[in-house]
Amino acid sequence: MEDSIRLVQDAIGYALEAGARKVRVTLNRSVENLVATLNGEIDKVTHCEDRSLSFAIFADGRYGSFSTDKLDTRSLKTFLEKAVGIVKMMAPDECRNLPSPERCCTSATTGNELDLTDATFEDISPEMRRRIALDAAIFGKVGEEGFKLISEEGEYSDSRYQTVIMDSQGLKCLHTEDNFDYGVEVTIEADGDKYSGWWWNSSSRLLGLNAAECGREAVRRAASQIGSSPIKSVRTNMVIDSDVASKVVSPILNALNAYSIQQNNSFLNDSLGKAIFGEGLTIIDLPHIPGQTCSKLFDSEGVATYEAPIIEKGVVRQYFVNSYMSAKLGIAPTVEDATRPKVMPWPEKGLTRQDILARCSEGILVTEFNGGNSNSSTGDFSYGVEGFEFRNGRIVRPVSGMLVTGNFITLWNRLIAAGDDARPCMSKLIPTLAFADVDFSG
Amino acid sequence: MDRFGINGTQLRALVAEGLGRGGSWCDLYFEDTVYCDLLLRDSEVSSGGYHQDYGCGIRVLAGEKTGYAYSESTDFTSLIQAARAASAIASGEVSVSGPAAIRQLSSPNDCYPQISDWRQTEASSFVPMLKRIEEDIRRADTRVHKVMAMLSWSVSEVMMFNSLGELTRDSRPLGSVSVSTVFKSGGRIENKRVSRSFRCGAEMAADSLVDQLVSSTLKGVDEMFEAKRPKGGSMSVVMGAGASGILLHEAMGHAFEADFNRKGQSVFADKMGRRICAKGINIIDDGTIRGNRGSCNYDDEGVPGQKTYMVTDGVLTSFLHDRISASYFGTAPTGNGRRESFRYNPIPRMRATYMESGTDGSVEDLIAGVSKGVYVDQFANGQVKIGEGDFTFYVKSGFLIENGRLTMPVKDINIIGNGPQALADITAVASDLIIDDSTWTCGKEQSVPVSCGMPSVLVKRLTVGGE
Repeated sequence: MEDSIRLVQDAIGYALEAGARKVRVTLNRSVENLVATLNGEIDKVTHCEDRSLSFAIFADGRYGSFSTDKLDTRSLKTFLEKAVGIVKMMAPDECRNLPSPERCCTSATTGNELDLTDATFEDISPEMRRRIALDAAIFGKVGEEGFKLISEEGEYSDSRYQTVIMDSQGLKCLHTEDNFDYGVEVTIEADGDKYSGWWWNSSSRLLGLNAAECGREAVRRAASQIGSSPIKSVRTNMVIDSDVASKVVSPILNALNAYSIQQNNSFLNDSLGKAIFGEGLTIIDLPHIPGQTCSKLFDSEGVATYEAPIIEKGVVRQYFVNSYMSAKLGIAPTVEDATRPKVMPWPEKGLTRQDILARCSEGILVTEFNGGNSNSSTGDFSYGVEGFEFRNGRIVRPVSGMLVTGNFITLWNRLIAAGDDARPCMSKLIPTLAFADVDFSG
Repeated sequence: MDRFGINGTQLRALVAEGLGRGGSWCDLYFEDTVYCDLLLRDSEVSSGGYHQDYGCGIRVLAGEKTGYAYSESTDFTSLIQAARAASAIASGEVSVSGPAAIRQLSSPNDCYPQISDWRQTEASSFVPMLKRIEEDIRRADTRVHKVMAMLSWSVSEVMMFNSLGELTRDSRPLGSVSVSTVFKSGGRIENKRVSRSFRCGAEMAADSLVDQLVSSTLKGVDEMFEAKRPKGGSMSVVMGAGASGILLHEAMGHAFEADFNRKGQSVFADKMGRRICAKGINIIDDGTIRGNRGSCNYDDEGVPGQKTYMVTDGVLTSFLHDRISASYFGTAPTGNGRRESFRYNPIPRMRATYMESGTDGSVEDLIAGVSKGVYVDQFANGQVKIGEGDFTFYVKSGFLIENGRLTMPVKDINIIGNGPQALADITAVASDLIIDDSTWTCGKEQSVPVSCGMPSVLVKRLTVGGE
């Protein structure tokens, strides 16, 4: 880490020498090793190392952003002279500035505060990686009842990311994070038709990675869709599996970003402090959970993250406002984005997917979205879906080739339940969700 | 080779190192890219950026298996380490001397018309263009509330070398302008995004481009405010000429990429040589259209860009190959081996995918033949499930068709179908092919610029989202 800090310090000096009045420099450094399998054999091995610098440069009341991976002194100096020249041709913008030091993170001094690294990381050998990938592969090892496994693609990877952010006001933040991932995609064939399934697992510790079950789960998901077809267009309950439920949460978080608010391109404009959603929706940002993927002490400006409600009982409590947007909009700054948002259980804790299916009695359980999009100004959405029709709380048939269409504000005002089953390996902690009166087209 | 600080002897030595454990193929991909952007927001061009990306990717193949590593430094020691890492896909120990000689190839293509090099053009010279875009849009429509306009350009200097001793170079310009406009009317807000992108020089930033962007932004604004969600369900769909090429990209283009077929995953894997749509339909993936966003003098494996007929007279005639799949299928590569940057190994990717014009008249003729359906002409994104063939695309604007006439405007609906079925259900093709020049980017594992095109077509039956 010391050489990284020295590089960033030097880069700040070069930028100031080149004519910058203020500067923020971010070093992103990573190493990743990957082993992919195809049908139980090694198919690909890769080794990647990255090291690049990003600059936010402020000069003469003007601003620009720059990046380079040519890091020798001569190249850096030449690059920064050009960069400052470009900044000086921009129109002045008095709203651009570094964040005030009081808001900045002072506790990320080692990069390991959140316990996101694995002490064994550097001891992992190429042979160990091959072994993990091959042991996790299930091609030829599982029973195939009523279908044939056509292909299995597995991918194991381990990576270490280091970030150093420093600025000309004295900011210094360090972050190191290890990730161990295994993902698998399978294709099966039954009665002449093909069906695909996927599953993955992730951990900041090698020992926490559960690769062994991924293949079987992917096959189970693919096989569960055998014989699927659309059902007639219907308005009914929608239950969304926790693995894919971020599809109806991410657009809300995006709409709370001050860039969208400032451009009047958000369906949550003028929503701060208002009860926009049903009382069942509470989202809290939990950025500091030790050992959990994506926890982080600071945002990309170096501003300290903090635990805070984003939406509380349907009331919008926070926009994501960086220093620039704070000055543009004339409102208090917060953080740039949600770090690790969690949708809280409702109406009670402890609900599983099965509990929620029973509570809804009938409807469509969505286990996968297939494309679609939403309108950021209106909140209207339309997505392809597949999953299962359920009655009396029990799955009765697989469905595919259907569409769900609606509006996010309307949808969230029809929340029936939010479960307590978010996967901790995901960056957004979204549980199984259930909504009433949703339009499906088939 | 000066750009990358490497000489011929070193190139051959790197290949020898890559093949040192028994690999059957080795290639090197050197890249030096600069990227610049300028953003107009709140009527001022007050932010922009400049970015450099430099390095070399080294790939070793052992049959169909891939070893890959890259270095952001092109000093010989770093590259040797990368070659050694990539060579690990093979497990033997052999003595290889690398290619005996270097043969510099010259491309048969000239895909990038260029008068002015972006790198030699002052960024400040583009500011008046961005300002004029906003001024013209605001002047023409009082409902305009906010305008953001962004110009970006990149130039990639690429050098490729492989174990046959073939050395190829390419200098790839790419310019793009996108405009996002927020309209406000009677308390309602709507937004619209339009864009244009070309592989050409800085001369593209001309008045004619501004006129196109302004005109596209202003087209259909009334309908945007009037539009409603239709009643969803299965119905006929007339796809307007141009951006409807997203249907081809999602419904069949991906499924024709030969890596999916080599692995037996694609819904089209067993359909080579068979009829998959009506006689007379020709579907092409083309890397040779001058100035097109998806074109390339060479692909990223050093294979010349080509025009590939995937469907000829309704029959599946070719998949889209990189070197691995071409070797597997015993055919020649089609120039579809592409990658996002030196950080990625190449895989089969589309370029400009389109259908040739048909003989079934005009779009009005197609609409006249539909009693109940939708006409769609602007899109945002799409997706496909390769095995099942189920694809979707998101419609930004269109109209209901009732008794052969366009009636209520519709927007923000997803459409879903199945690739083989949708192709078989194309019952009419108009004679009005348009290649769409928007900033299409395909996201299969890596992001690469593509484009698509289509004449107006009638698809007998697709499922349309709605209330």
